[in-house]
Amino acid sequence: MTKEEIIVKLTTIVKPYVQNEEGFKNMNEETDFIKDLEINSANLVDIILDVEDEFKIEIDNDSMEQMLSVKATVAIIQEKMNA
Amino acid sequence: MVGNDLVDLNLAKTQSNWQRKGFLEKLFTVKEQIEILNSENPFFKVWLFWSMKEAAYKCYVQEHQKRFFAPKIFSCQIKKNNIGFVNVESIEYHIKYSFTDNYIYTIAEDTNPKKMVSDIFFIDEIKNKTKIIHQKILCYFPETVQLQKNELGIPFLYQQNKKLPFSITTSHHGNYGAFAISN
Repeated sequence: MTKEEIIVKLTTIVKPYVQNEEGFKNMNEETDFIKDLEINSANLVDIILDVEDEFKIEIDNDSMEQMLSVKATVAIIQEKMNA
Repeated sequence: MVGNDLVDLNLAKTQSNWQRKGFLEKLFTVKEQIEILNSENPFFKVWLFWSMKEAAYKCYVQEHQKRFFAPKIFSCQIKKNNIGFVNVESIEYHIKYSFTDNYIYTIAEDTNPKKMVSDIFFIDEIKNKTKIIHQKILCYFPETVQLQKNELGIPFLYQQNKKLPFSITTSHHGNYGAFAISN
């Protein structure tokens, strides 16, 4: 799966949790889930669980620790899918 | 250092499903999960523990200047009504919490608690919450003091381009806003 394909799927996953629509319209690799999309931190876990389901991967605690941005999340998804 | 966190319990009911598969396992230690599941009100315990972890995290971030998402490394302990501890690495944060039917409000302080003020208040859903919270904080200071957030999102006060030695923490969720200031 290409980075672009992953970002498209990730956009659908984060959509229900977004609280800053302006930030969501401009969502790109540099987007931060909390600073730019104002996602409630308790909903980060929903994003992680949705990512696990969608990409059929398991996200360990060390990976989860970095999952605050689109870029870091895409990198983790790629790493786990290629493992 | 001071960190605070606020949970609007009515919003938490619709915004998150704590019974979702994997939810508890990702956020809480095994000990915390057992305590939640054996509790008379698991919903309340989930959000109390979560709020303790968030308040402690906000202290930790100020001290270490890095952001991350690792709720399980913060372990919660309730000592008696309204008092607890959160441990992370070798640090122990002192926790004070209060609650009503509508919210849980938690304050974490490092081991050297100093003078502290805090407030929690109702905010109309449509108002700009960050702005209201910032105005309330600035009421405690002379007019020349201003408030900003650094690149990590941590608020700080400055006056004539000089950073002031206060620890500031803010929180908003649903219909509530809160802040705490310590020096």
